[in-house]
Amino acid sequence: MTSVFKNLYNYRELLKTNIKKEVRGKYKNSFLGVLWSFLNPLLQIVVYAIVFQLILKNPQENYAIFICCGLIPWTYFSSAISRSAFTMVENGNILKKVYFPREILPISIVTSETVNFLISTVIILGFVIFGGLGISKYIIFYPLVLLAQYLLLIAISFIVSSISVYIRDLQHLIGVALQLLFYAAPIVYSPEVIPPEYQWILTLNPMAYIINGYRDIFYYQTMPDITSIIGLIAISIVLCVIGYMIFNKLQKGFAEEL
Amino acid sequence: MKEEQEEYSIIIKDVYKSFNVYYDKANTIKEKILFLFSRNKKEKRTVLEGINAKIKRGEVVALIGTNGSGKSTLLKLLTKIIYPNKGTIETRGKLTSLLELGAGFHPDFSGRENIYFNASIFGLTKKEIDRRLDDIIEFSELGKFIDNPVRTYSSGMYMRLAFSVAINVDADILLIDEILSVGDEHFQNKCFEKMLELKGEGKTMVFVTHSMGAVERLCDRTIWLSNGKIKLDGKTKEVVPKYIAETR
Repeated sequence: MTSVFKNLYNYRELLKTNIKKEVRGKYKNSFLGVLWSFLNPLLQIVVYAIVFQLILKNPQENYAIFICCGLIPWTYFSSAISRSAFTMVENGNILKKVYFPREILPISIVTSETVNFLISTVIILGFVIFGGLGISKYIIFYPLVLLAQYLLLIAISFIVSSISVYIRDLQHLIGVALQLLFYAAPIVYSPEVIPPEYQWILTLNPMAYIINGYRDIFYYQTMPDITSIIGLIAISIVLCVIGYMIFNKLQKGFAEEL
Repeated sequence: MKEEQEEYSIIIKDVYKSFNVYYDKANTIKEKILFLFSRNKKEKRTVLEGINAKIKRGEVVALIGTNGSGKSTLLKLLTKIIYPNKGTIETRGKLTSLLELGAGFHPDFSGRENIYFNASIFGLTKKEIDRRLDDIIEFSELGKFIDNPVRTYSSGMYMRLAFSVAINVDADILLIDEILSVGDEHFQNKCFEKMLELKGEGKTMVFVTHSMGAVERLCDRTIWLSNGKIKLDGKTKEVVPKYIAETR
């Protein structure tokens, strides 16, 4: 296991340039550039606010802020996973030609999405400040929730990126699965509206804990549920190890399958 | 026993490699299920059968053999792009392959920027690249073109840049596939000089080539592959004449 980190350390320059490329490449050919990192979620929030507040009459107070705290972490989650599913196929040419630690590719995707998320966090801050809620002292727990989400994403991206080399259908399945998870997480609604007999569904969705965490910090401004977050970090670390084992087993055939 | 092992850069133990050759490849679940019911859509082709070799540190070895004898596959196994079905391959030290030159070149970026991209794929850090940058540019003889986008390069310029990066990585083991076809005669000679220089520095090198002249000038030892097996392994001056006699 230590050799994994040593290998990554040796190739740190490649990891760095790859992350930079992913961050900058995302909006490279668009007129507004990085501004899209702000505009995209902002427009989405407007859409959801119109649908769920104006049309469906959701009674939640400060609904735009409420949805912003759920939607932005969700976008981070879903784009990291769906991009991981494509990364090996996209880089097929180079995978067939040279050796480098293959895990650099999914790690770069997740890390570059983390950078995007950090930029987008400015939107959440903008909403809570201009929405009159202000910033609470609980913001110190933001890195902890982010760490849980990052580790979870690393684990998932190891699995998704390597399996999708062998089964290309996975890319489509992931789209559907993400849609399902989106509605199975308290993003557009608050967890209390779910009838008690179905609450267990939320407890199975790791994103529910993460979104609740962010929401406690920014929206409710209370102490987030630290035990669940720490528990999630522990589970994610175990998942990272399992994910890496799967990845390592499958990566040996990448050059032949692509 | 342990100390004796330390001398070797590459240890190949009983390596088997076969490829599945698909006539029609199933990539989706639907196709995979359908293919379960249809017969012989794939065929197993054995490329390497029981290869054993130990290469000492500082040894310069040529892999020769006719087309399809498994030379390039063996080289790919050594770089860890593909893995053997059976057997083990152990390499000690930093390894660079000159198999596919210019992998990771980005056409829209300048030659200088591409040096950074390409060298980072070989596992160099920014500092290490900075230190080698002048040597790389000088060796490539690109001069002022180094700051032009790589897409404007001729194929010769492209290969020269790629070769310069790969050769300056400062690896302990170099794997080289038909390099002597890079650039014009002047540059080829220069590459050759560089190879001899690296040999003098005690680098381990494995060549795949069809040029027997180059083999005789550079390599002490030659491994002759034939149909996925080692036919002969010994001193170059003994193996090459036999190879020439048989293939002529």
